[in-house]
Amino acid sequence: MDHIPGTARDGFDPGQAAALLDQATRRARRQFTPLSPLLFTYRAVVALVVFGGFWLSVRGQHPYTGHISGWAIAVAVVLAAINIGWTAWGIGRAGTGVSGPAQRKWQAWTGIMTAAWIIGYAVTAPLYHAGVSHPVWGLYPASAPLLMIGLAGAAVAAAFRYWPLAGTALGIAVAAAAAGFGGPAGSWLITGIGLCAVCLGIATFTAWRQRRSMVRP
Amino acid sequence: MTTELDPLIHVPTRLKIVATLAALPDGDALSFTRLQDMLGLTPGNLIIQLRKLEEADYISSEKTRNGAVQKTTVTLTSHGRAALGADTQALRDLLGGL
Repeated sequence: MDHIPGTARDGFDPGQAAALLDQATRRARRQFTPLSPLLFTYRAVVALVVFGGFWLSVRGQHPYTGHISGWAIAVAVVLAAINIGWTAWGIGRAGTGVSGPAQRKWQAWTGIMTAAWIIGYAVTAPLYHAGVSHPVWGLYPASAPLLMIGLAGAAVAAAFRYWPLAGTALGIAVAAAAAGFGGPAGSWLITGIGLCAVCLGIATFTAWRQRRSMVRP
Repeated sequence: MTTELDPLIHVPTRLKIVATLAALPDGDALSFTRLQDMLGLTPGNLIIQLRKLEEADYISSEKTRNGAVQKTTVTLTSHGRAALGADTQALRDLLGGL
């Protein structure tokens, strides 16, 4: 009988070993990934629904007032709360029992990005309080916070060598910058479509990275 | 060319342990309880397998005590990561040649 080099005596042949290695690796990657492809897909839907809802509620305004209807805000708050809860759960689950330099770096990244999101949107409050013109109020919250958050996120992610996240953050900044050219109403729609595309892109990439085989090309 | 698989890793339970630890970034450690939970092994079985891997310097373990609670963490060493890499390459060669 031909002997397959490396075949163990207990019958654990290379094919079985390769399958088990891939299975164990994929399972571990899924469990250690804080931001899952499903979460990014949910965020893509949220971006489209929330920013699309804002666009629907302001697009027919003549003259433009920038007033977003209550139902659109309510939907945004609910979907954002689910996103925050899901994200916190995912980060907590992935980090359970894990310690070390990379884990500390990830916690630092999470803290920095939480601060960036809060600061990015907090700066819109003084503008609202100052009673800026309606076109400014439409354009600014649709694009400026995401432009700041995206650029800050890209810089920090690059410094931490989180290249996929750096690409994602840069994509957010590009979408936000493009939205600035869409006018006070159109900027919401451009932001929504841009964020949706970016989130779907990172969801696809994350799914591919989790599923790629250790053994087979 | 003869491609040899690493007999220490080429055992289902130990292959799963090493593959799981290799999914973490280099230098990060995993608690014994999380590893046990992920692999669905009994504590006794996991301890035996970890001991064999530690004797070969494929993993390192650290015990810390916080009051009455003792926590054990396990890390894949650079030697263990290299061994898994070599074993994976051996599998590729073998499967490519079949």
